[in-house]
Formats: sequence, structure tokens, C-alpha cells
Amino acid sequence: MRLTRRTFFGASASLMALGLGPVSAQARRGGELVIVTGENPRHLNPAVQSGVATAVPGTQIFASPLRVDENWDLHPYLAQSWEWADDGLSLTLNLVPGVKFHDGQPVTSEDVAFSIMTIKANHPFQTMFGPVDTVETPDENTAIIRLSQTHPALLLALTGALCPIIPKHVYGDGQDIPSHPANTAPIGCGPFKLGEYVAGQQITLVRNDDFFLEGRPYLDGITIRIVPDAASVTLSLESGEADVGMVTDATAINRLNNTDGLTVTPRGFEGIGPIQWVAFNTRVAPLDDVRVRQAIAYTMDRGFILNALMRGVAASQKSPIIESSPFYNPDMPSYDIDLDRANALLDEAGHPRDADGKRFSMTMETIPGRDAALGNVPEYLRSQLREVGIDLELRASPDFPTWAGRLASGDFQMSMDIVFNWGDPVIGVHRTYLSTNIRPVIWSNTQGYANPEVDRLLNEAGHELDTDRRRDLYFQFQDIVGNDLPVYWLNALPYHHVFDDRIDLPLSIWGLMQAMDEVYWTEDR
Amino acid sequence: MTDTPAPRIEAVSPLREAWQQFLRNKPAVAGLVLLVAIVAFVLYGRYFVDADPYRIVWAPLSAPGANEAVPLGTDFLGRDMLVLLLKGGAPTIAVGLSAALLTVIIGISVGALAGYFGGWIDDLLMRFTEFFQVLPALLFAMVLVTLFAPSLVTISFAIGIVSWPATARLTRAEFLRIRELEYVTAARSIGAGNQRIIWKVILPNALPPLIVSAALTVGVAILFEAGLSFLGLGDPNTISWGLMIGQNRSFLLEAWWPVAIPGMAIFLTVFAVSLVGDGLNDAFNPKLRSR
Repeated sequence: MRLTRRTFFGASASLMALGLGPVSAQARRGGELVIVTGENPRHLNPAVQSGVATAVPGTQIFASPLRVDENWDLHPYLAQSWEWADDGLSLTLNLVPGVKFHDGQPVTSEDVAFSIMTIKANHPFQTMFGPVDTVETPDENTAIIRLSQTHPALLLALTGALCPIIPKHVYGDGQDIPSHPANTAPIGCGPFKLGEYVAGQQITLVRNDDFFLEGRPYLDGITIRIVPDAASVTLSLESGEADVGMVTDATAINRLNNTDGLTVTPRGFEGIGPIQWVAFNTRVAPLDDVRVRQAIAYTMDRGFILNALMRGVAASQKSPIIESSPFYNPDMPSYDIDLDRANALLDEAGHPRDADGKRFSMTMETIPGRDAALGNVPEYLRSQLREVGIDLELRASPDFPTWAGRLASGDFQMSMDIVFNWGDPVIGVHRTYLSTNIRPVIWSNTQGYANPEVDRLLNEAGHELDTDRRRDLYFQFQDIVGNDLPVYWLNALPYHHVFDDRIDLPLSIWGLMQAMDEVYWTEDR
Repeated sequence: MTDTPAPRIEAVSPLREAWQQFLRNKPAVAGLVLLVAIVAFVLYGRYFVDADPYRIVWAPLSAPGANEAVPLGTDFLGRDMLVLLLKGGAPTIAVGLSAALLTVIIGISVGALAGYFGGWIDDLLMRFTEFFQVLPALLFAMVLVTLFAPSLVTISFAIGIVSWPATARLTRAEFLRIRELEYVTAARSIGAGNQRIIWKVILPNALPPLIVSAALTVGVAILFEAGLSFLGLGDPNTISWGLMIGQNRSFLLEAWWPVAIPGMAIFLTVFAVSLVGDGLNDAFNPKLRSR
């Protein structure tokens, strides 16, 4: 993440001058895009719902104040420029004038203020706008975000699906917003309007002819087809029934790589930063002992996991911060496989082998439906732990909510888990390690990990505007959790974008979770 | 006039007769031999190969025959396929047997009561049976296993619960036929009660087709367990042939043997069971007897 001082304070002026850059000469108008997905959104309003399934259609329908490119650099979108106050406690957004919602109503600073406060109140990522006190609206094209404390993550939180500008005249009618009827019939000001939404089957988006960026979008429409499983996603991409999709399964990636006419790339997931790890419940014996957690880490061979289980399509990940981020500390200990070390640590922790060579038994939760696709790490771990005298039982959950409930309530010893960074560490990293975030909800600090020094470093890093200083704080944080191991990080999920070679598809750090107004067919389909 | 003894008719018990008939059926004998061989392999194989099946012994996905240490190759983790195959056999067959047993118990009980008593009892039980019969079996079994967490016991139960209607209908049909026969009337005339007539008079005579059906159910249940495991609903803590297939299937395009070898084991077992079942059918059916 290149959130340099330049980006914070200096960039707005130069970006304003650059605008979005000239429209590419060979960009062609027309054509439709079919996106295939195995994920079914609850609804289409990203203001109150996280996740890729809502974000992909949501960012086409709603526009955000800013957008971000593949280099983590920010660009104007609904806000034609932005400016920090010298004390870093307020940010002024200057909106593009004359923008209209799909129903013809004007987009004003009132809508921006309403959206940010709605997201603050309802979105699961509470840290995004947590420090926002008020949003002032001195005139209809100016919004001033006032903060209670400095908040470097704010700019990234104004991009993509994290900050959709929703119409106050629709959502401000007093109804509960997470269950608002307009969530399935949304009205935004993005490049595409909702055509038809058939829950669980298909989302049809049609071109917004009154879109505020001249000549955009290039496409006439986008169809998001919802299929029941990952295998169907692969098949429809292979057969050309769908033009764009995401795959995570190694076999599918390798297969599609060998299909003519398809581009398969891991780019576009830098923002999500999806990390797979082994979670330890640090509140229960024997995992409350750091030596046991380290011993377990020493039994796993990350190279084996990447090559044999992930079939070479996933990237290594040994830190809480995705390795493609500038905040990643490359000096993190990697706990390369060392069974002697593991045995010694277990002896030291007071778990001697009995006559049969066994030390103790443990259970591990598996994520329903995910583990088989992700190389079956628990099965591997069972084999490895037997080598050091630990018997591992796997506990399957009938469905995802059961698994999530077990983790949330602390009813587990070990589990696989997959957690996303979501751009800034404040959004997706802090939540796992702050002792103040030990809450009975999934993807909080479900490990029950508490270290006052970690709390201090994260809180400081969350407010530090100086990027070098901030990086230093995150490096210290990584040193500590790298030793404490509340979780053991294994790999980045092998998310890949797959699309027809004839599509020009710019992939920012948000991939498909940002407006696709610049996407076009280089030749007829 | 000299007393010439009546020509001696050799009394052969029906079971013995059936057995002799069975032995004349070459495919059935072949099936039996195969079945015995498989059971012996599963029960006594550990005397030849004894190792921790979870142990990673070699490079993942090594082909069979490529290395002496792992004659059947290795699976996706590098575990010995031969050891896994040995350890996986007993649970696989146990699920087949216990599911078949459950099928027979429920099926015979329901079918016998319905067929014997007739009337409203028959109506009630048959509607009940039809309810289970119209449920999509695999889907219903998946729901049951999902609800009660996958373990060998729940899987056996699930298979038993979705498979019994056929046995119940078969039993009912036999009871309907037999209860009108003279020997049943005779039994009743000497004061036998319902209990006695059902269990001691009719059931033994209705048994032959039921034994055949039970034998075939074993095969079906083994396939069923494999199907559930393939779908990821197997007991994750018990190695079975189906589980081996399920765990290795995502590597199928790179390595066929971790899927094909347990698949072949399942095929051979079910095949053997079917041959034996068919043999029993012929042996017990007097109309098919060739003298």
C-alpha cells in the first residue's frame, strides 16, 4: 500500500489536474459482459453488507467518492478533489457538480453525509468510519468529514465497495436500512442501473446513459449469473458462456490456464488480501501456552502446503498483513518445519509422551465446503501432528453458520480460518488481534488473544499519519504476534480473475469490486 | 409276499438343497470366493502391512509401482495407498452391513405387520412407507448426516432409514401371499396367536427373498457410503474407501490412482456381493432350480 505522505496531502491537487486521464483511443462502445459467480448476495447494498457477492454489483450501481488503481494510488470519482486539513482531523470532498441518481434526483453533499453515517452505523467494518464525528455540508457540492482523531485509513475507506453513496431521499425514510426494501431494488449514481434482480439466479445491469463521466461506461450492460458451485463457474468460463469470473481452486486455475482465449491472473485481489490461517483458541489448554502453538507451527511445512496442496497457485503468507502490502514485515519468523524443535517445545511445555508415544489429543474445526477446495490442510496437519505425538480429531460442521457460531462462541481448540485484509490494516487486520475486539461474532478476535503491547501498537498505528512511522509500528506489531502466534498464517488464497482475452479489464486492488465503466470489448464477442 | 422297503427318499434339508444349488452356480461361487478374499484382506491384511495410515511416507501422488516402498502409490499427502486401503476396508464393509441390518429390521417389521394384519394397519403403514419411498434417497441421507454430524453410526442410520421401504414392500407382499396358505390356517386352528404366526410360521417361509434383498442392500449401502464421502459428508475421522475417493478427487486430473484404487475396491466388493445375492436368489427360488 503506497499511502505515502504525498497521497495524503500533496496528491489531491495533482490528481485534480490529471482527472481520470484521457479516454483511451481504442476503447469501443457496446457489447455486454457476463460475469459468473458461485456466491449469492443477500442484497445489493454494500453500505450495510460486506462481501464480494454484494460488492461486485453494488459498485456498478453505486459510485464512491474516490477510486484506487492497481498501485494503491487514489483517483477522483464522485469527488473531483479532496483535501486534508493541516491537523489531519478533517477531510474536504469537492463533489462533481450536476451528478444525478438513476431516478433523476441530484447527488448532493447531503447524500454523502447520509451515506457515511449510515455505513458507520451499520457496516460490519466498524473501524472504517469509527473516528468520523460528523460530516458537514456547507454547500451542496462540498462535504467535510470531521474526525475525532487522525485516521489514515479514511481515504481507502472512501473507495470501491467500502463507501457507496446511497440516496438519502430513498433510504432516509426512517426504515431500518439493513432490511430496507430498496436494497434489492437499489438506486445509485454508478455507471450501471439495476435491470432485474432474480435472487439466487441472476442480476442484470443496464447502462446508465446519464452517467456523470462523459462517454462511460463503454458496455451496454452486465449480467451477473449466479451458479450453484465452483465447478459450474469453471465450466461456464471454459465454454465461453460467461466472460468474467473468479476461481480459487487450483485444478480449475490450471485447467483454465490451458484454455485458449482466457486470461487467468492473480491480480486484482491485493485489496482483499485473503489469508488462510490456522486459528488457535488461546484461552484453552493446551493452546494457552505459546510453546504449544509454536510447536504446532513447527510441524507444518509451508512449502509442502503451497506446492503439494495448493498445486503451486497460491502465494506464501507468514504475516497478518498480506505480503504484497508495504506494511508487511519481511523479517517475520517463518517457523520452517522442524520436528525436533516441535518435540522439544512440547516437552518443555510439560506434555511428555506416554507409553504409546502420545502427548495429548486435540480437535480441529473444518470449514464446511472450503477445506476440500483449499487442499485439505487439516488432513495434512493431522498427519504432521501425529509425528510429534498429538492426536488430531477433525470436527465437521453441518453448515457455515454452525462453524461460525463455534468460533464466535469460543467453542473450539483449533480451526482453519480465512480472513481478508480489506485494504487498510485498520479495517481487516486490527480486528483479529485487538483485545478490545474479543466479541462473540465471527472474524473478530475469536482467538481470545490479548497482549497490551499489541493493543497499544495497533491503536497508535491506526492514527499515525506519517507512513514511515506507521510502517514501523506495524513492523513491531508483526514481530510480537509472530512470536505469540494467536494464529499461524499459511498462505494467501489462490484467488484468480479469469476473463476473455478480448476484454480490456483494468484490475485495481479491488478487482471487480470497483466500477467497471472503463471495461470494453476490444473486438466483437 | 416279501416286505420290500419303500424306495428310500433321501431327506435333504431345504438349506442344504439351496447350498447345493448355490454351488452349481459358477458366478455365485466366484463372487463368494472374491468376497471371502476381500474380507480376509481387510481383516488380516494388517498382519502383513502394519503402519499408521496417516503417516506421510513418500512424495505426494507417487504412481503405483514407481517405488517398492509404496506398491500402490501415495495419495495427495504422500500417505501409503496400500495401508489406507487396508484400514479403510473394515469401516466401509461395516457401514454396508449395519445399514443393511437396519434396513432389514425396519423393513421386515413394517412389512410383516402391514401384510399380516391388513386393513387400516396396512393402509397406515403403507402410507408411511410411501412417504419414505418418495423422498429423494441421497438428498434425505445428506440432510440426516448433515443434521447429526457425520460419523459411521449416523451414516449407517441415514442409509438404513432411506433404504428400508423396498424391503418393507417385499415383506408385505410375501405376507399377503403366505397368510392365505393352508399351513397358516392350520396353525391358527391349533390356537397359535398372531405373534407366533407372524414370527414362527410366516416369516421363515418369507425369508428367502428377504435374504436376497438384504444381500443386495449391503452392496447398495457400500455405494451409498462412498457417495456421501465423495460429497464430503463422510466421517472425517475414519478412513473409508469412499473418504479416500472424496479427499483425492480434486487431484484426479493429475493422479488417477488415489481415486481409482479405492474405487476398484468398492467395485469389486459390491460386485462380489451382487453375485452372491443373485446366487442366493437362484438357490432359494424353486422355479429356477435345474435338477
